[in-house]
Amino acid sequence: MEQRRVFAQVLTVETVIASVVFLLVLTALLYSLIRRRAGAGVGPSPRSERPRLEVSYLAALVVIAAGLVVYTASANDWMHPGGDAQAAGRGGGKAAPVEVDVTAFQWCWKFTHPAPGAHQAARSGHGPDARPAADAHHAAEAHHAADGGHGSGGAHGQRSDGARAATTTANCRDGRLPTLVVPTGRTVRINLTSLDVIHSLWVPALRYKMDAFPDHTNSFTFTVDKEGRWIGRCAEFCGDRHHAMEFWLKAVSPEEYDDWVSQHQQDGPTGGAAA
Amino acid sequence: MTLAPDPPADSPPQAAQPTGASRPVRPASWLGWLTTTDHKRVGLLTMATAMVLFFLMGVLALLMRSQLAQPGQNFFGSSMYNQMFSIHGSGMIYMVMTPFAIGLGVYLVPLQIGAPAVAMPRATLFGYWLYALGAVLMLSGFAMPTGAHADGWFSYPPMASSTYSPGDGTPLWIVGVFMATVGALLMGWAVLWTALRKRARGMTMLRMPVFTWSMIAATLMVIGAFPSLLAALVMLAVGRADPTVFDSNAWNIGYQHLFWFYGHPVVYVMFFPYLGAVGEVLAVFSRRRFFGYKGTVISLLVFAALSMSVWGHHMFATGQATNDYYSLTSIALLVPAGIEYFALVGTVLGGRLVFRTPMLFALAFIPQFLIGGLTGIMVGTPALDYHVTDSYFIVAHLHYVLFAGSAFGLFAALYFWFPKVTGLMLDERLGRVHFTLMVIGTNLTFLPMFGLGYLGMPRRVATYPEWAGFGLLNLLASIGAGFLAAAMIAFALNLQQAFRRRVPAPADPWQGNSLEWAAPSPPPRYNFTTTHPLPPLTSNAPLLDARMRQGRHRAPHRTPNGERA
Repeated sequence: MEQRRVFAQVLTVETVIASVVFLLVLTALLYSLIRRRAGAGVGPSPRSERPRLEVSYLAALVVIAAGLVVYTASANDWMHPGGDAQAAGRGGGKAAPVEVDVTAFQWCWKFTHPAPGAHQAARSGHGPDARPAADAHHAAEAHHAADGGHGSGGAHGQRSDGARAATTTANCRDGRLPTLVVPTGRTVRINLTSLDVIHSLWVPALRYKMDAFPDHTNSFTFTVDKEGRWIGRCAEFCGDRHHAMEFWLKAVSPEEYDDWVSQHQQDGPTGGAAA
Repeated sequence: MTLAPDPPADSPPQAAQPTGASRPVRPASWLGWLTTTDHKRVGLLTMATAMVLFFLMGVLALLMRSQLAQPGQNFFGSSMYNQMFSIHGSGMIYMVMTPFAIGLGVYLVPLQIGAPAVAMPRATLFGYWLYALGAVLMLSGFAMPTGAHADGWFSYPPMASSTYSPGDGTPLWIVGVFMATVGALLMGWAVLWTALRKRARGMTMLRMPVFTWSMIAATLMVIGAFPSLLAALVMLAVGRADPTVFDSNAWNIGYQHLFWFYGHPVVYVMFFPYLGAVGEVLAVFSRRRFFGYKGTVISLLVFAALSMSVWGHHMFATGQATNDYYSLTSIALLVPAGIEYFALVGTVLGGRLVFRTPMLFALAFIPQFLIGGLTGIMVGTPALDYHVTDSYFIVAHLHYVLFAGSAFGLFAALYFWFPKVTGLMLDERLGRVHFTLMVIGTNLTFLPMFGLGYLGMPRRVATYPEWAGFGLLNLLASIGAGFLAAAMIAFALNLQQAFRRRVPAPADPWQGNSLEWAAPSPPPRYNFTTTHPLPPLTSNAPLLDARMRQGRHRAPHRTPNGERA
């Protein structure tokens, strides 16, 4: 949850700066309201500018702005440790992230956990941009399954380039929300796209969001420190059920996660996921 | 109002010479208004139209706040709610705050620089027609079977394409916004050209009042940024004819770039003129000249230039923008903004303050807009923006900028120049009631929204479930909206009373600083007359200079630092 930590730190720093500035201006205003009101018997100042003071103030502003720029750029860097280098190094070493393909659609989500190894085969085969076309079929199936009254969400395995993938989806109606299951302590890499309009995946507890575009895949990584369940929402206006396009982010222990993935890879369609 | 044609001997001849066959149009008739080439009338038409729309868009906001007051309510239905927030946002930005700002410039800039008319008066009038008809077209979407435009003021494709938003609301919105934007461009050009080329003899660039300078900076941004919106709208129109255009990510993200290249500078177009107005009001009711004039002029121009480079900070979460660059340019804005604030606070700090209604609004502008500005640095920080973008934090931020800031500047301007424009005084007591309700309502409505965004409430949601925990803060915001409604009723009452009681206003009811207060109230057709001639143009506050020369001012009789002829 490095995003959450960085967010908290940057928010604290900027809130302190903002509060100091606000209080300074407020104090100056209140002072004027009392001491410079017409009834206080003072005349207006005849000085209409103070060039030296203004230049010193300008210099101070430039220094503050420069400091803030450096600080915020560093914070952005801390929030994305490794950046693209990590993506390039994926597959080798112990830092290989857990990959989840997320597809947003009007108006719910689909989470696909590719079988280990299969994902990379798919990736090197025809690249991530070929995925939406294949997902259109999956989502249609998801709609069908949910409308057919599969209870609270569905999770089932699907063939993806010769390997089974664990998939969860739902229709985000009547409390049937899909669940994005991730392991704690391991880096999770989200590959995010959309089937129709622009959506945005937002988990407020992670203090992070990323837009989901059709015909484009956005990737980002995060880690969850502790087990638990948090709400996720769509943050980009996407039509009539935008307000209801929610999901659960559920973090379980790595062992439990591996069990969950293999179970859903083998079982095929099952009802009642971890919603 | 009566029009008193009292042209001085050297004024230009009447534009329309009646021919023998047709009757001359009476200036006071409705046709006389709609065909006027008097900059004051065009400005008034623009501001009056914007005011009517301001009330209508406010009603939409009240309806939305009523639905959001409690969790789980959806009595309008999502589709209607989406239309309401879309038209509220589009209306307030395209049809209220921008046109009012430019209309204020059309009215005041010629007066402030001692000109008898605006440059390109017919193009200015045409701009008003385009704006008014565009507003009607946009609103007529509500009369369509599929309803009005429901994709927000930003209208990203592919959501706004004909595939996902079928119906007539969106085409009407596209055409309406296009027309209003062309109108704003025409009026913006006219104001800029007036300030640059129509100044009276002796009115140097650095003798122009702060408001006129703020209009120059604003209209430069209009000219630089508004064509980008026209391009985006054309792209949207093409995409509605052929939705496959938006199958490609390049066009979707490209639209966002074009849109925000307009969409950020327009925030400052909706801010600078009101900042300029607040500057004038603060100086006049501090009984002095504006402090830090040159620094403010330079910072306005720097601000306008920088504003063209920050648009990508609206796209931090797209994963397709160079976030560190846009963060740098956005944070750099604090330098010119800080200079402007230095001038505002400095003016008050050395003043002799008189608390009339315009001054109250101008004083409240300072801390309230500051909240918008300081939270603006936060949302310009990618590490914070990932969480708060597209949340109620942004709703709070933008309303602190545009409502707690610009709208307070708008009312400061309105109370300040109303006597000049109409020749009638507004009531001080009702003005104070309006002001008090507005301060309470503004902060009660928009302060809780920062919390809502932080807690995870997305923007543009028609409703929210009870378990989300957003109930209390939303209730507070909705109660605040009730105060705002009461404030606007007090304001409407004040207007109605002013026209009923007709307390005449003198030429200079406030001891103004700039030239418009030397003209009669209301100013005649060509502004300055033989009985109300232009005073000597000695500085950016010529009337203050005149008062000091006559020794009627209580200030110490030293030569001010401002330039003298």
